[in-house]
Amino acid sequence: MKKNGLRVLSLVLVLTMILGLGACGSQPASNPTPTPSNSSNTTPSDTSTPADKAYDKFITIDMFNSQANYQGIQSGWFGKVIKDRFNMEINIIAPNVAGGGDTLFQTRSAAGFLGDIVTLGAENGRLADTVKAGLLMDITDMVVKSQYLSKYPQATDMLKNLIGSDRIYAIPSQVSSLSPLTPSEGNDLTYGPYLRWDYYMALGAPRIRTLEDLLPILKEMQDKYPTSDSGKKAYAISLFKDWDGNMMCLAKQPACMYGYDEIGFALVSADGKTVQSIIDSDSEYIRSLRFFYEANQLGILDPDSPTQNWDTLAAKYADGAVHWSPWPWQGQIYNTVEHKAEGKGFMIAPMEDMKIFSYGCNPTGNKYCIAVGSKAQDPQRMVDFIDWLYSPEGVMMSCAQTTGSCGPEGLTWEMKDGRPVLTEFGVKAFSGDQTLMMPESWGGGTYKDGISQLNYQAVSTMEINPLNNAPYNYSLWPSYLESNTTPLDKSWKEFMKAETTLDYLSQHNAYTVAPGNSYIPEAAPAEIDTLRNQCREIIKANSWKMVFAANDAEFEALLKDMQDTVKGLGYDEVFAFDVKIAENTRKAREEAIANAK
Amino acid sequence: MPKKRISPGFKLFLLISPFMLLVFILSYFPLYGWAYAFFDYRPPLKLSQCDFVGLKWFEMLFRNPTQVKQLLKVMRNTFAMSGLGLLVSGLPIMFAIFLNEIKAPWYKKFVQTFTTLPNFISWVLVYSFAFSLFSNSGMVNNLAINLGLIDTPIKFLESDNHTWLKMCLWGVWKGLGWSAIMYLAAITGIDQELYEAARVDGAGRFRLMWHITLPGLLPTFSVLILLSVANFLSNGLDQYYVFQNAFNREHIQVLDLYVYNISVGGQNSYSPATALSILKSIISVTLLFVVNRLSKVTRGETIV
Repeated sequence: MKKNGLRVLSLVLVLTMILGLGACGSQPASNPTPTPSNSSNTTPSDTSTPADKAYDKFITIDMFNSQANYQGIQSGWFGKVIKDRFNMEINIIAPNVAGGGDTLFQTRSAAGFLGDIVTLGAENGRLADTVKAGLLMDITDMVVKSQYLSKYPQATDMLKNLIGSDRIYAIPSQVSSLSPLTPSEGNDLTYGPYLRWDYYMALGAPRIRTLEDLLPILKEMQDKYPTSDSGKKAYAISLFKDWDGNMMCLAKQPACMYGYDEIGFALVSADGKTVQSIIDSDSEYIRSLRFFYEANQLGILDPDSPTQNWDTLAAKYADGAVHWSPWPWQGQIYNTVEHKAEGKGFMIAPMEDMKIFSYGCNPTGNKYCIAVGSKAQDPQRMVDFIDWLYSPEGVMMSCAQTTGSCGPEGLTWEMKDGRPVLTEFGVKAFSGDQTLMMPESWGGGTYKDGISQLNYQAVSTMEINPLNNAPYNYSLWPSYLESNTTPLDKSWKEFMKAETTLDYLSQHNAYTVAPGNSYIPEAAPAEIDTLRNQCREIIKANSWKMVFAANDAEFEALLKDMQDTVKGLGYDEVFAFDVKIAENTRKAREEAIANAK
Repeated sequence: MPKKRISPGFKLFLLISPFMLLVFILSYFPLYGWAYAFFDYRPPLKLSQCDFVGLKWFEMLFRNPTQVKQLLKVMRNTFAMSGLGLLVSGLPIMFAIFLNEIKAPWYKKFVQTFTTLPNFISWVLVYSFAFSLFSNSGMVNNLAINLGLIDTPIKFLESDNHTWLKMCLWGVWKGLGWSAIMYLAAITGIDQELYEAARVDGAGRFRLMWHITLPGLLPTFSVLILLSVANFLSNGLDQYYVFQNAFNREHIQVLDLYVYNISVGGQNSYSPATALSILKSIISVTLLFVVNRLSKVTRGETIV
């Protein structure tokens, strides 16, 4: 009897334990409002259009947003706009802010609930896997009946093919009706050699034949202007490591000024015909490393580069402590209204042999897509909200933070003589005025704090807005270009004999467009992923060491060590896979051009 | 009918069962995660949706000379750091003994609190502290430049010089006071009559320390040493994680950090990382038994 009792009790204990643990596992991730039991029913019972739909119950939704750089409740004027239209507020869950790379996505998907709305990159099999794991909702019927989403069958079909299903689970971003050979970026491309224009002029605008010619110029610049506005030590070049992925991110940027972009460990030209392996001694990547190494030898590379994060660097740019930038938006942190009026700021330099990589407009959209989570509360409202993001009003309001869309009519712009013009408020808002207050009718608060944090570009901002017959991106408006008359702009325009960066690049045939296409790379085999992880750790570490090498011999030794180690690990297998993806990309790009003609 | 009595054995079982439950939940239940080592696991898929690959990942760890070389490098770092840790494990004893000799109670308390505090600071904070002191624009460099001692900042953090030693010193700074607590407790347990007898025989303070306090502490010391040898491969992750960068990676990457870097730190390489940590567990258990055996032979005492 005693023994039996003991056995029974231990059995009970074990069972309680297992049940208890099971219960822990099956709890969905924190969900502010309990979900009504409509998650299994994906077909809406209500067929009315969003406009006459009343949203009785106030809800807070979780939005898993793989691009947002803000975590928490969307507040301020954009939050009020959402609340007024959809009677809900958005809790943004941002892996970029949470840190830890992919961890947040993995833990949330293991718990079975990513969010009510999910934005994610569809590449490398990610979207297909997410659908397969049952994390997204089939929204076909709701999308077909929607007002704006239903206009992009080409884009949704592309994702259908990718998933291998005839149902719609997600909608791509940056959908465009323009030619795939039109740069999608606006007047400034993503990359370019941007310099402190006033300093460059003060040096007498020396000729820049190629990338390496920048070194003596930057050296002279730093010698002549050794301190920042606040009196700190200035460096011509300052880097950071936050965005290092398969390689040192900043060392890839000069390659992009010569018409290449990365696909895994490959640098592929815009037309897809030239493929370089980054570790080859004569690759554009190693050339960039050598460029930064030389810069360090000259003492014009900020020694904080390997340790500082982007926020620190941004503060340095704002203070005028850096003289060079590979991206327009980064240098132009300095281009405030006051600085431009004094003729100070970053502008693109006339580097003679540049051929800047540009991403063409894409009728089937970008690999980032938006979807509804399988356990979403009120799926119809989620789709209505996504539909609104694709409406003219939605694009104007939600893309103002990062992609230069024009903001709400009557606030930041107005119609004058039949064309859109920025209001005084708009000019202040877009020049980065931190303290600009919103009118009371918008709920008060500052413009900047209340801006949409979604960082989701539903349609390309190059598209024509049906409400004012001008592009969403205000910087393309004639009225805006005419108003660009600060001393900085004047000086640049006179010297370069061009109206805008893109105008200059077109005149000198100095950019190259990778045609927008519908190809999204498939998942790599797990073994390739593992080898890639090992290789890239070595590549990143050695790249930084090479930049800060003491002398040429050390530089070469580190290069050789990197090549030998990653090849020994199995780099060639990974690269072969990347070449295959590059080949598929080339075909898709050629197809896109053929279709466009 | 007489009332049935609960047997004493069963009572004891009831007393220990909550702890067995905890041990099971915290130490044995997670072992089901070992299953990941035998699949091609790719989040967000469920494990049941992934392919079974057998021992593929174990083979991959030893697939070619470079893989083995990488692993050996990591093992070298692990052994070096743990070895240094063992070498300095005598410091807390000395510290405890000397602290015990301090006569002024307020000063003794002050020193003890002051040295124990760092243990409660997380490594992340320790690093931000280290960063503000030793980075290129940190206090030490700024001071030295302003005093005209150096022209260019010294790279304390971004260099690979003496990485093992530096890490060991940070560890000592953080753990010294905390580790001494155990010895201070053991010292109070030593029979005071021994001291009195020794004093009668004419022993001075140092004689007392050497002949009574130290031998009194040895059993505690040996148990702690045994445990730390069993933990030889698990020298933790957080310290090395916060201090690692491209420049010191060669010498700072210990086994736990390596497992982290190729799994969570990279993208989706959970399966090989699990395989690696299974191997680690097996080696650790082996080490524990070897040391236990040694201890039985040399001192006649075992802990397992």
